[in-house]
Amino acid sequence: MEPRVTPAYSRNHSHRVKAFLNTSHATLGQSSDQQLELSIGRVSLRLHVSDAKTFSEARARYHGFAASQKEPFAVYLRNAFSTNGRTPEFAYEFEAQKAALQAFSSGESQFVGANNPYTLDCLLRILLTWMLLPRAGFLLHAATVVRDGRAYLLTGKSGAGKSTVASLAPEGSVLTDELSLVRREDGVWRAYGTPFWGEFRAGDSNTSAPIAGIFRLVQAEENKIAPLRPVEFLRAMIGNVLFFSQQSADSQRLLEIVSQAAQELRGYSLEFRKDRSFWEVLPA
Amino acid sequence: MSTTTNGALWRKNPILAWREIDAEIVIVSPNDSVLHELNETGSFVWKRLDGRRPAAEIASSLAAEYDVREEDALRDTETLLDELASRRLVIPADTGTTRGIE
Repeated sequence: MEPRVTPAYSRNHSHRVKAFLNTSHATLGQSSDQQLELSIGRVSLRLHVSDAKTFSEARARYHGFAASQKEPFAVYLRNAFSTNGRTPEFAYEFEAQKAALQAFSSGESQFVGANNPYTLDCLLRILLTWMLLPRAGFLLHAATVVRDGRAYLLTGKSGAGKSTVASLAPEGSVLTDELSLVRREDGVWRAYGTPFWGEFRAGDSNTSAPIAGIFRLVQAEENKIAPLRPVEFLRAMIGNVLFFSQQSADSQRLLEIVSQAAQELRGYSLEFRKDRSFWEVLPA
Repeated sequence: MSTTTNGALWRKNPILAWREIDAEIVIVSPNDSVLHELNETGSFVWKRLDGRRPAAEIASSLAAEYDVREEDALRDTETLLDELASRRLVIPADTGTTRGIE
């Protein structure tokens, strides 16, 4: 048995309940709210922002992901939570920044302390990890490069070389160099671009492609590729999944999703030199 | 640290997420966000930890399934239970619980 460090996980929630949304508007909406509708990995969000500076920063940052969709999940940026006695299905806070979120399966979330772009970005990532669970998806620390219409995900922790390999991509497009969104849709695993890039840059590649393979990055002197057994593949992914829920049901769901990915996708260990030559050993 | 005593009954910690993949059990504990893996015989034991079967009974099954002596199987089972208990992957069967996932 080997323990492996992995980030946290999240919970089944439905997104019916328009009536609830309307109620929420009545109780939480402020007349000065400006709204920003986003679609990230086909997850629809509508940010309600009362602070003008925060709104313009968010609009600039996420412009590549602006999209109007039906029944978006409402995200209210507030100074304090207003829950009206309800218990959130998912809650998370990071104390140092005095930032927190609460999310309700009725289709609404509240962010507190998201008054700078960095904190808003963090809270959006955290919310997405939870919202992806009922959508058979997860966020993976991985760069995604699309070649010939298929996505190559290069996974590893900070310093593993994600940004490096993305910058060395000989052709094709980079959907993200830091955080990939993986979803199973109609039996096909797809990787989506995200606005979440390394060095806190924002990306604008709001596209997706079916996944060709996921590659665990290992810096080496020579290029070498070896397939991973499903358990090894699962370990490689779990160690790089972004997750925050402390709920056991959420953990169970995440484990099911990632295990399914480990059994249905091809996983490899990729030893690579820091030059373009390693692309030649990738399977077509 | 020996956490198992003769005759102690153990069950899986209900806060854990686990599943079988390629005949191996993988366990994720949400509190410390760690992935634990059990080999084939460890998985054999894990699946039989229901809070009712004592280690000796599980070891008997293990000895019958694999070609090992019963006393070796019992020693290995108890060693595994110690390890699982020290990681809080199993808890005493009489520990109360308010919620579980199984």
